[in-house]
Amino acid sequence: MDIQITDHKRVSVVAVSGRIDGSTAGEFEAALTGVTDAGNNNIVLDMSDVDFVSSAGLRVLVNTRKSVNSGGGKIVLAEPSQQVVETLDIAGLDVLFEQFDDRETAIGTF
Amino acid sequence: MTDYSLTIEGRFDQVASLSDLVESMATEAGFSSRDQYALQLAVCEALENIIIHGYQGESTNLIEAYVNSDPGEFTIEIWDDAPPFNPSNNPAEIDWSQDDPPVGGLGLKIMHKVMDEISYERKGERNWLKMFKRHKTN
Repeated sequence: MDIQITDHKRVSVVAVSGRIDGSTAGEFEAALTGVTDAGNNNIVLDMSDVDFVSSAGLRVLVNTRKSVNSGGGKIVLAEPSQQVVETLDIAGLDVLFEQFDDRETAIGTF
Repeated sequence: MTDYSLTIEGRFDQVASLSDLVESMATEAGFSSRDQYALQLAVCEALENIIIHGYQGESTNLIEAYVNSDPGEFTIEIWDDAPPFNPSNNPAEIDWSQDDPPVGGLGLKIMHKVMDEISYERKGERNWLKMFKRHKTN
Protein backbone atom coordinates (compact mmCIF):
# COMPACT_ATOMS: atom_id res chain seq x y z
CA MET A 1 0.00 0.00 0.00
CA ASP A 2 1.22 3.50 -0.87
CA ILE A 3 -0.24 6.79 0.32
CA GLN A 4 0.32 10.25 -1.14
CA ILE A 5 -1.10 13.38 0.46
CA THR A 6 -1.46 16.68 -1.39
CA ASP A 7 -2.84 19.76 0.31
CA HIS A 8 -4.93 22.12 -1.81
CA LYS A 9 -6.45 25.42 -0.74
CA ARG A 10 -9.65 24.00 0.70
CA VAL A 11 -9.11 20.27 0.63
CA SER A 12 -6.52 17.56 1.24
CA VAL A 13 -6.24 14.88 -1.41
CA VAL A 14 -5.19 11.49 -0.10
CA ALA A 15 -4.30 9.02 -2.85
CA VAL A 16 -4.02 5.45 -1.63
CA SER A 17 -3.06 2.45 -3.73
CA GLY A 18 -2.62 -1.29 -3.30
CA ARG A 19 -4.21 -3.52 -0.70
CA ILE A 20 -5.98 -2.18 2.39
CA ASP A 21 -6.51 -4.96 4.92
CA GLY A 22 -5.52 -5.90 8.45
CA SER A 23 -1.83 -5.56 7.63
CA THR A 24 -2.08 -2.04 6.22
CA ALA A 25 -5.17 -0.48 7.82
CA GLY A 26 -3.13 0.92 10.72
CA GLU A 27 -0.84 2.83 8.37
CA PHE A 28 -3.87 4.02 6.38
CA GLU A 29 -5.58 5.26 9.55
CA ALA A 30 -2.42 6.99 10.77
CA ALA A 31 -2.13 8.89 7.49
CA LEU A 32 -5.73 10.07 7.62
CA THR A 33 -5.48 10.95 11.32
CA GLY A 34 -2.43 13.03 10.47
CA VAL A 35 -4.53 14.99 7.97
CA THR A 36 -7.40 15.60 10.38
CA ASP A 37 -5.09 16.36 13.32
CA ALA A 38 -3.58 19.13 11.18
CA GLY A 39 -7.06 20.66 11.03
CA ASN A 40 -7.93 19.54 7.52
CA ASN A 41 -11.47 18.19 7.64
CA ASN A 42 -12.18 18.31 3.91
CA ILE A 43 -10.74 15.20 2.28
CA VAL A 44 -10.82 13.76 -1.20
CA LEU A 45 -9.79 10.13 -1.02
CA ASP A 46 -8.49 8.96 -4.40
CA MET A 47 -9.02 5.17 -4.41
CA SER A 48 -8.54 4.56 -8.13
CA ASP A 49 -5.54 2.26 -7.58
CA VAL A 50 -6.86 0.26 -4.62
CA ASP A 51 -7.06 -3.39 -5.65
CA PHE A 52 -8.45 -4.82 -2.40
CA VAL A 53 -10.14 -3.40 0.67
CA SER A 54 -11.43 -5.45 3.60
CA SER A 55 -13.59 -4.45 6.56
CA ALA A 56 -10.40 -3.26 8.29
CA GLY A 57 -10.17 -0.58 5.61
CA LEU A 58 -13.88 0.21 5.84
CA ARG A 59 -13.56 0.83 9.56
CA VAL A 60 -10.88 3.46 8.82
CA LEU A 61 -13.16 5.10 6.26
CA VAL A 62 -16.10 5.20 8.64
CA ASN A 63 -14.03 6.48 11.57
CA THR A 64 -12.47 9.19 9.39
CA ARG A 65 -15.90 10.20 8.17
CA LYS A 66 -17.08 10.60 11.75
CA SER A 67 -14.02 12.68 12.58
CA VAL A 68 -14.28 15.09 9.64
CA ASN A 69 -18.04 15.43 10.00
CA SER A 70 -17.65 16.41 13.64
CA GLY A 71 -15.13 19.01 12.51
CA GLY A 72 -17.59 20.48 10.03
CA GLY A 73 -16.02 18.88 6.95
CA LYS A 74 -16.60 15.87 4.76
CA ILE A 75 -14.76 13.06 3.01
CA VAL A 76 -15.60 12.00 -0.54
CA LEU A 77 -14.22 9.30 -2.81
CA ALA A 78 -12.60 10.00 -6.16
CA GLU A 79 -12.64 7.35 -8.85
CA PRO A 80 -13.06 4.39 -6.50
CA SER A 81 -11.92 1.14 -8.11
CA GLN A 82 -14.42 -1.61 -8.79
CA GLN A 83 -13.06 -3.49 -5.77
CA VAL A 84 -13.71 -0.53 -3.47
CA VAL A 85 -17.23 -0.16 -4.84
CA GLU A 86 -17.84 -3.89 -4.34
CA THR A 87 -16.68 -3.94 -0.72
CA LEU A 88 -18.74 -0.86 0.17
CA ASP A 89 -21.78 -2.37 -1.55
CA ILE A 90 -21.44 -5.79 0.11
CA ALA A 91 -21.04 -4.15 3.52
CA GLY A 92 -24.01 -1.88 2.84
CA LEU A 93 -21.97 1.25 3.50
CA ASP A 94 -21.98 2.70 -0.02
CA VAL A 95 -24.59 5.27 1.01
CA LEU A 96 -22.09 6.92 3.36
CA PHE A 97 -19.66 8.17 0.78
CA GLU A 98 -20.21 10.46 -2.22
CA GLN A 99 -18.33 9.05 -5.18
CA PHE A 100 -16.96 11.03 -8.13
CA ASP A 101 -15.59 9.84 -11.45
CA ASP A 102 -12.39 11.84 -11.21
CA ARG A 103 -10.27 13.71 -8.71
CA GLU A 104 -10.85 17.20 -10.16
CA THR A 105 -14.61 16.90 -9.95
CA ALA A 106 -14.33 15.72 -6.35
CA ILE A 107 -12.08 18.65 -5.43
CA GLY A 108 -14.52 21.01 -7.12
CA THR A 109 -17.29 20.06 -4.71
CA PHE A 110 -15.54 21.78 -1.82
CA MET B 1 -12.48 -31.35 -8.81
CA THR B 2 -9.45 -29.53 -7.53
CA ASP B 3 -8.16 -29.46 -3.98
CA TYR B 4 -5.43 -27.35 -2.48
CA SER B 5 -4.30 -26.80 1.06
CA LEU B 6 -2.26 -24.02 2.55
CA THR B 7 -1.04 -23.40 6.08
CA ILE B 8 -0.22 -19.88 7.18
CA GLU B 9 0.82 -18.25 10.42
CA GLY B 10 -1.75 -16.05 12.10
CA ARG B 11 -0.35 -12.83 10.75
CA PHE B 12 -2.13 -10.26 8.62
CA ASP B 13 0.59 -10.23 5.98
CA GLN B 14 0.01 -13.96 5.40
CA VAL B 15 -3.62 -13.49 4.43
CA ALA B 16 -2.91 -12.24 0.92
CA SER B 17 -1.18 -15.51 -0.02
CA LEU B 18 -4.42 -17.40 0.61
CA SER B 19 -6.30 -14.72 -1.26
CA ASP B 20 -4.30 -15.52 -4.39
CA LEU B 21 -5.18 -19.21 -4.07
CA VAL B 22 -8.85 -18.36 -3.64
CA GLU B 23 -8.80 -16.23 -6.77
CA SER B 24 -7.26 -18.95 -8.93
CA MET B 25 -9.60 -21.65 -7.57
CA ALA B 26 -12.65 -19.43 -8.07
CA THR B 27 -11.54 -18.72 -11.61
CA GLU B 28 -11.21 -22.44 -12.25
CA ALA B 29 -14.72 -23.00 -10.87
CA GLY B 30 -16.09 -20.48 -13.37
CA PHE B 31 -17.01 -17.64 -11.03
CA SER B 32 -17.23 -14.12 -12.46
CA SER B 33 -14.51 -11.63 -11.59
CA ARG B 34 -16.99 -9.95 -9.28
CA ASP B 35 -17.66 -13.20 -7.41
CA GLN B 36 -13.94 -14.01 -7.35
CA TYR B 37 -13.33 -10.75 -5.55
CA ALA B 38 -16.25 -11.35 -3.17
CA LEU B 39 -14.84 -14.79 -2.30
CA GLN B 40 -11.39 -13.33 -1.64
CA LEU B 41 -13.03 -10.75 0.59
CA ALA B 42 -15.06 -13.30 2.59
CA VAL B 43 -12.01 -15.51 3.13
CA CYS B 44 -9.93 -12.51 4.18
CA GLU B 45 -12.60 -11.56 6.72
CA ALA B 46 -12.70 -15.11 8.12
CA LEU B 47 -8.92 -15.20 8.52
CA GLU B 48 -8.68 -11.73 10.05
CA ASN B 49 -11.45 -12.67 12.51
CA ILE B 50 -9.39 -15.69 13.57
CA ILE B 51 -6.28 -13.55 14.03
CA ILE B 52 -8.07 -10.76 15.91
CA HIS B 53 -10.73 -12.60 17.92
CA GLY B 54 -9.35 -16.14 18.01
CA TYR B 55 -5.63 -15.68 18.49
CA GLN B 56 -6.13 -12.23 20.10
CA GLY B 57 -3.68 -10.61 17.71
CA GLU B 58 -0.91 -11.57 15.33
CA SER B 59 1.09 -14.64 16.29
CA THR B 60 2.89 -17.66 14.89
CA ASN B 61 -0.16 -19.84 15.65
CA LEU B 62 -1.19 -21.70 12.55
CA ILE B 63 -4.26 -21.50 10.34
CA GLU B 64 -4.89 -24.36 7.90
CA ALA B 65 -7.05 -23.91 4.82
CA TYR B 66 -8.37 -26.54 2.43
CA VAL B 67 -9.87 -25.16 -0.76
CA ASN B 68 -12.02 -27.20 -3.10
CA SER B 69 -13.44 -26.14 -6.43
CA ASP B 70 -15.88 -27.98 -8.62
CA PRO B 71 -17.46 -26.44 -11.69
CA GLY B 72 -19.78 -23.79 -10.29
CA GLU B 73 -18.91 -24.48 -6.66
CA PHE B 74 -16.32 -23.20 -4.22
CA THR B 75 -15.66 -24.58 -0.74
CA ILE B 76 -13.08 -23.61 1.85
CA GLU B 77 -12.48 -25.28 5.20
CA ILE B 78 -10.42 -23.40 7.76
CA TRP B 79 -8.91 -24.86 10.93
CA ASP B 80 -7.39 -22.98 13.83
CA ASP B 81 -6.30 -23.74 17.40
CA ALA B 82 -7.84 -20.70 19.06
CA PRO B 83 -10.49 -20.80 21.80
CA PRO B 84 -14.01 -21.52 20.51
CA PHE B 85 -15.29 -18.86 18.13
CA ASN B 86 -18.41 -19.45 16.08
CA PRO B 87 -18.89 -17.14 13.09
CA SER B 88 -21.68 -19.20 11.53
CA ASN B 89 -24.55 -17.22 13.02
CA ASN B 90 -25.65 -14.48 10.70
CA PRO B 91 -25.46 -11.22 12.67
CA ALA B 92 -28.83 -9.55 13.12
CA GLU B 93 -29.52 -6.54 10.96
CA ILE B 94 -29.69 -3.48 13.14
CA ASP B 95 -31.10 -0.10 12.22
CA TRP B 96 -28.45 2.55 11.94
CA SER B 97 -28.32 6.17 10.94
CA GLN B 98 -25.82 7.84 8.64
CA ASP B 99 -24.71 9.90 11.65
CA ASP B 100 -23.72 6.78 13.54
CA PRO B 101 -22.84 4.00 11.10
CA PRO B 102 -21.67 0.65 12.45
CA VAL B 103 -17.98 -0.23 12.57
CA GLY B 104 -18.21 -3.51 14.47
CA GLY B 105 -19.26 -6.82 12.97
CA LEU B 106 -18.54 -5.78 9.40
CA GLY B 107 -16.38 -8.84 8.72
CA LEU B 108 -19.11 -11.28 9.75
CA LYS B 109 -21.68 -9.34 7.77
CA ILE B 110 -19.51 -9.54 4.65
CA MET B 111 -18.90 -13.29 5.10
CA HIS B 112 -22.61 -14.01 5.34
CA LYS B 113 -23.53 -11.69 2.48
CA VAL B 114 -21.06 -13.36 0.13
CA MET B 115 -21.28 -17.04 1.04
CA ASP B 116 -24.29 -19.33 0.55
CA GLU B 117 -23.49 -21.55 3.53
CA ILE B 118 -21.30 -21.12 6.62
CA SER B 119 -20.82 -24.02 9.04
CA TYR B 120 -18.88 -24.19 12.27
CA GLU B 121 -17.96 -26.98 14.65
CA ARG B 122 -15.63 -27.27 17.59
CA LYS B 123 -13.66 -30.41 16.82
CA GLY B 124 -11.52 -31.47 19.74
CA GLU B 125 -9.40 -28.48 20.64
CA ARG B 126 -9.78 -26.88 17.24
CA ASN B 127 -12.19 -24.62 15.38
CA TRP B 128 -13.47 -25.84 12.01
CA LEU B 129 -15.12 -23.37 9.68
CA LYS B 130 -16.58 -24.31 6.31
CA MET B 131 -17.76 -21.75 3.78
CA PHE B 132 -19.51 -22.64 0.53
CA LYS B 133 -20.62 -20.64 -2.47
CA ARG B 134 -22.48 -21.79 -5.54
CA HIS B 135 -22.17 -20.05 -8.87
CA LYS B 136 -25.33 -18.17 -9.72
CA THR B 137 -26.53 -18.72 -13.26
CA ASN B 138 -28.81 -16.19 -14.89
